[in-house]
Amino acid sequence: MIESKHVTKTFELEKSEIPVLKDVNFSANEDEFVCLVGPSGCGKSTLLRIIAGLEHADAGEVLFHGQPQTSPTPKITMIFQLFGLLPWKTALENVEVALEILDMKKEARVEIARSYLRMVGLEGFENAYPHDLSGGMKQRVGIARALALQPEVLLMDEPFSSLDELTAKTLRSLVLDIRGKTSLATNTFIMVSHNVEEAVFMADRVIVMSPRPGRIVGDVKVDIPPPRTRYLRDPVHFKYVDEVVEILEKSK
Amino acid sequence: MGIDWLAIGPTGRMGSNPIPGASPLVRPPQILRDILKSPLKRRLENKTWGEHGKLAHVVRIGRQAVVFAAGLFAIVAAYWLVMNFVENPEISSLPYYTFRTLLRITITLGISVAWGVPFGILASTNKTASVILVPSIDLLQSIPILGYFPVIVLFFISLFHGGEIGIELSAILLLFTSMAWAIFFGVVGAVKGIPVNIIEAAQSFGVTGFKYIRHVILPAIVPALISGSTLAWCDGWFFMIAAEYIVYLGTTYSVPGLGSYLAKAAYVYNDLNLSVIILVLITAIVFYLNSFTWHRLMERAATGTYKPVARIGLSGLGKLGVIRPRWLHLGDRIHRPKSLILASKWVKRYTRLEKAVALAISLTAAFAIIYYIAGQIPSEVGFHEAFADPEFLNLPVYTVLTLGRLTVAYVISLGIALGMGVLAAEHKKFAAIFYPIYDIGQAVPILALFPIFFVYLSRIFGGRLGLEVTAIVVLVLDMIWYMFLNVVGAVKSIPSEIKEVGRLLGFKGLKRITHIVIPAILPAIVTGSILSWGTGWNTIIFAEYMPYEMELFGGQPLSLPGLGSYLDKTGYLPPPKGNTVRLLFLLGEIAAIVLAMEGLVWRKLLRRFEKYRVEV
Repeated sequence: MIESKHVTKTFELEKSEIPVLKDVNFSANEDEFVCLVGPSGCGKSTLLRIIAGLEHADAGEVLFHGQPQTSPTPKITMIFQLFGLLPWKTALENVEVALEILDMKKEARVEIARSYLRMVGLEGFENAYPHDLSGGMKQRVGIARALALQPEVLLMDEPFSSLDELTAKTLRSLVLDIRGKTSLATNTFIMVSHNVEEAVFMADRVIVMSPRPGRIVGDVKVDIPPPRTRYLRDPVHFKYVDEVVEILEKSK
Repeated sequence: MGIDWLAIGPTGRMGSNPIPGASPLVRPPQILRDILKSPLKRRLENKTWGEHGKLAHVVRIGRQAVVFAAGLFAIVAAYWLVMNFVENPEISSLPYYTFRTLLRITITLGISVAWGVPFGILASTNKTASVILVPSIDLLQSIPILGYFPVIVLFFISLFHGGEIGIELSAILLLFTSMAWAIFFGVVGAVKGIPVNIIEAAQSFGVTGFKYIRHVILPAIVPALISGSTLAWCDGWFFMIAAEYIVYLGTTYSVPGLGSYLAKAAYVYNDLNLSVIILVLITAIVFYLNSFTWHRLMERAATGTYKPVARIGLSGLGKLGVIRPRWLHLGDRIHRPKSLILASKWVKRYTRLEKAVALAISLTAAFAIIYYIAGQIPSEVGFHEAFADPEFLNLPVYTVLTLGRLTVAYVISLGIALGMGVLAAEHKKFAAIFYPIYDIGQAVPILALFPIFFVYLSRIFGGRLGLEVTAIVVLVLDMIWYMFLNVVGAVKSIPSEIKEVGRLLGFKGLKRITHIVIPAILPAIVTGSILSWGTGWNTIIFAEYMPYEMELFGGQPLSLPGLGSYLDKTGYLPPPKGNTVRLLFLLGEIAAIVLAMEGLVWRKLLRRFEKYRVEV
């Protein structure tokens, strides 16, 4: 459903150019959870932003349902590393304001926002400001806001890397639970991570990128059945982790 | 060993942010050395973009040298023209006056730094010192320059029996009272802003005492010192007229300089063309010196700060003149009110009884000091005459009128600064227009503009209304820049994630402004408001009163009814209208209003908007 075709991107600084992405080709299909891993600065976040329509490729293109995807659309939403909540809005307002793009009545927006906050386990915190919420709770609001738009594609930019491991673990399971819900329109998940174990735990496919300029150097299909939590200590999990790490090491 | 901090340069801004201050013990002497290094050598050493870039750089530096020489030539030529074609008995002394003023401001800057660094370090490292120093210096800086006249005249001028040394010292001290605070608070902010991990690292490596000051504190305050000096320098030019030409209770004390010459051109020679010419010369000199000294230093200093300084990228002359460092841990955009917040925090630690005792002691001390000073005041000034003035009954009306003028000017400057600031921060085209305007606007001594504006505006609006409009215009020109600066800085520092969220959610145009931009910069607007009101109070004292008799208006000094003009009359005119006791009383009233507004309005707003701050 999402296809990246020959995507190339260079950042221009005052006097120099830094190539970030070089001829990146990959696709994420319906009902697929894809995770992009790679060393810091390999352009994986940039790639995600090009998919979201926040950045433009210098060459190549991203196709969404076969059409060029060049500007933000509610059908593709994003969860941010630092949550991206508006500090001047309550949890409820943060979700509700996102729905304004869908041209709904205020009551309907509030109703939907409430139900999504309930889904991520934030009932009773509707009127709290981000300032008063813990990191994990903020990311729950971020997830609720992204899902409330009923996107087809959910992009996640290192969504758990600014949380402590325990909280991250809980939220990873939350995202996988949500993915299991058939009532949601969201069926394609693309996550960026530099945590290989996290990638193998969550994704159906792990796409490995090289250091800058980012190219795709590996595409590992993770064949572990759900629920994945059962396989966290299983040799098969570590087999995949080793495989990804080996590709990463080789591409250095 | 360690990272070469300056080499990070352009790439450092991308994704892989180097953690500022990661190798504190290596960096300190380095940064000092780098700042002292010749610009050419440093630039060539630290740029990372290869041979071609080096060549481009040499070309750029060469171009700058040409601009530098051309500017110098233009100024010399302007002086030559003015001295040959303007008729005035003192015109041949113009270069001498320029030299005296430059020397005076430079000396005062030196004194301010020499005072500000040790006291700033003391106030930020010693708890007892900070409890005393920070609030009292905050109070001192809020006193308008006119408030220092009595003290200065009483001490220096009478000490030297009106001799030139006494007046010169008075001028320097008056300049000091408008220049020193920026440096003090800059140092306090920088020292308090040293990250805890660096302090702990220093302690664990046994860096204490003098070594600690040399390797941790001094390098940390260098950027703040540079930006503080820039502010002080500009403040010095702003207030030099008031400092060089002191009119107190009917007597004039002046020292040779550009400021006093400007004042004389307006007040003695009644020659407005001459005022305009001097003003243009001053603006050109300040602008020229700023671009080739402070702007350069600031660019270099920004590389060494622990926290990112609001840098405004625009090459060449148009670079924003004043970059305020992010102060203290609480917030990047709080400058002055910060000290108030700190002070209120300390106050909270004490019980009510302790506070009452402290209040009683300080009140007694204040009364004792007033009583003592009153004893020193020559008897002809007399207490009983202070409040016998019939105009004194109008005080409530005056207060309301002056507050009204300030409010009108504030609303206008807020509106314009918001528009200009947001546009300049988001569009390069507007930045290319507004930054130079800001640069020049900062360089113009606004007080000197006052008579010139008045002449032109009174032709349109007539005498009284003309003065009213002039006062508002001068106030706006004065208040707008703090607001502009804060708005630009705040818009620039809206985190990219927040902006991306706005784009993902499809916020455009007005919706983006109301949902994202305005809420994000609210804390900065409050800070800008406090600074604007502070400077507004200082300016309105000069903006309500036209102290010289203009032939245009029947030889009558024009004044607007208000607190400012009443203060002027009380300060400038001979007794019984002029009266030191009443002057102190009126200054006290202004101080009370300023403090009340800070406590009742601004501090509450700051607290409310605190949670709007985006945590990154």
